[in-house]
Amino acid sequence: MRGPRRAVTRSARGGGPWAATGIALLALAGPWVAPYPPDRQEDVAGARLLAPLTRAHALAAGPHRILIVTDLRRTADGWEFNRAGRRQTLAALDLKEEPARRFYLLGTDTLGRDLLSQLLYAARHSIGLAALCVALALVVGVGAGASAGLAGGLWDEILMRGVDVLMAVPRLLVLLVCSALFSPSIPLLVLVLGGTTWTGLARLTRAETLAFRESGLAQAARAAGASAPRLILRHLVPQIAPLIMVFAALRFADTIVLESALSFLGLGVPPPAVSLGDVLASGREALYEAWWVSAAPGLLIAAIVLSVRSAARDLFRLHDPPSLA
Amino acid sequence: MERRNPGDSTLIGFVLRRLLAAILLVWAAATLVFLLVAAAPGDPFDALREPGASAATAERLRQVFGTSRPFFPRYLDWLADLLQGDLGTSWSYRQPVAVLVRGASLNTLVMAGPALVMQFALGLAAGIAAARSRRPLTDRGISAIAAALYSVPSYCLALPLAWLLAVRLGWLPASQMHSPEAGPLPLRSWLLDTLRHLVLPCVALIVPTAAGIALYVRDQMRAALGRGFVIAARVRGLGRREAELRHALRVTLLPVAALLGLALPGLLGGSVVIEVLFAWPGLGRLAYQAVLARDLPLILGCTCLMSVLVVVGGLAADLAAAALDPRAREAQE
Repeated sequence: MRGPRRAVTRSARGGGPWAATGIALLALAGPWVAPYPPDRQEDVAGARLLAPLTRAHALAAGPHRILIVTDLRRTADGWEFNRAGRRQTLAALDLKEEPARRFYLLGTDTLGRDLLSQLLYAARHSIGLAALCVALALVVGVGAGASAGLAGGLWDEILMRGVDVLMAVPRLLVLLVCSALFSPSIPLLVLVLGGTTWTGLARLTRAETLAFRESGLAQAARAAGASAPRLILRHLVPQIAPLIMVFAALRFADTIVLESALSFLGLGVPPPAVSLGDVLASGREALYEAWWVSAAPGLLIAAIVLSVRSAARDLFRLHDPPSLA
Repeated sequence: MERRNPGDSTLIGFVLRRLLAAILLVWAAATLVFLLVAAAPGDPFDALREPGASAATAERLRQVFGTSRPFFPRYLDWLADLLQGDLGTSWSYRQPVAVLVRGASLNTLVMAGPALVMQFALGLAAGIAAARSRRPLTDRGISAIAAALYSVPSYCLALPLAWLLAVRLGWLPASQMHSPEAGPLPLRSWLLDTLRHLVLPCVALIVPTAAGIALYVRDQMRAALGRGFVIAARVRGLGRREAELRHALRVTLLPVAALLGLALPGLLGGSVVIEVLFAWPGLGRLAYQAVLARDLPLILGCTCLMSVLVVVGGLAADLAAAALDPRAREAQE
């Protein structure tokens, strides 16, 4: 019993699965964890591009006028603070409520929105979208690959040439064409991203199916009268599931990168949905003034990709442990 | 089907078969894009899209570019033109697509060529160093750094790089291919100017892929080092360096050659974002602008060229594998 347990502890030591789970949970819980609404612009001039770890205060200066200020100090006859780079004062009488604390862990963007809240929502969007795409790609890819491998002949030829064609066009270009010409929406994106992701999965499944078809297990099942769908679902899929999961995890990371690239180019899902690429694009606009608006989403994308890939690597080792001690 | 003798499969026959398949592939890919664009709703010559154009002008433009015609004749005409090497006229630039695409692809080549070479040079060097190192710390260190760098998409890397080197330090320009005043410069300073513009986009393109190649090479080389023939070579009295670099490395290079074919589509796809980001006037940026302008001939021109490059890359990788390894030739049968 030593082998499997050692494999599990070894994979845990890698940290990939834990980090991936952590990021996914954080993104799922985004709406409850986020300190502020992601699109709240209280005071564009005052809260614009505040650095990470800024402690600020919100002053209610009027019925519809909120000031976001830093370095707030009470003076004899009111308040003194920094806002938009200038030291200002406000008479105590003008203040309707007590100053409320604002803490911007990752700073704010050009419109004075809290970056952490935006990132949490954006991660939820990007991760959810990528998960849907990979789910679609799994169904199509495994279905196409297994049926091509089992049926062979003309069907196999048609499917595999189709895969070749899809792989011959750069995916980002297909995505660009689709989302620029059709109005981009989440179903469309899932369809197109998933519809270009399944090709590798189909090839892998087909290769595994060809090997499986000759195996004793498949012959025994067929002799016992198993139909083709039963053969695929009950016998083939459990056999290749670990490998498929590894592959799917890798495609998931790719899809995150691709979807963010699309949003970065301004062709992702339309607002109010925010993808990590959208945040990155706003960071590009602010690049001359603030590094953190582009660094934070970039690091988050990298962290997601890294953790998912290392989780996939650990999964692969569990499935196929290295023979060397 | 007659059973072919492996000896029959000469390299030329193999090349011809693959070439035919490649041409069919490009045709199918271009048709796919044509279908997509033709199926899209909306009209590129909408009076609203053409600044200052009346409904009559829009109608005339539709006549001139033939967009009001039914789908099939249009498709057949396009195909016939394509076979004669005519890519049509761009709707937004009002210039021949071939001219636009030629200029842009040259610019892309200026960026992608050095990037491709550097990717493999750096990746191979780091991967081999990691696999050969006897201290586990060196191996782990290189692998960990490579894994981290491999996870940063090039466009995420580009922004901090641009911030540091262009905005903060002001060492390098962050956009365009030449400085505005670079036109009448003497050749040497013109080249230097282009080179300075090249650094940022190139580094952003190189680093993630080079890291990925390093990881792959490291794993392949590690596996090769444990193989019997390497140990046999050592037993025969070859030095460690000889055995590892002449015998193990050769086996490692085979799958890496296959990676070369995959690197090209990745580079072209990745260069779209990088070109847009750094305003590099290449093929990816042209395709992006064509897509935004709904410029069907230009979209098709860019797509065709990109898929030709992808297919040629795959072909070159297969040929390299076939030339290096007779087993690959037989596997094609």
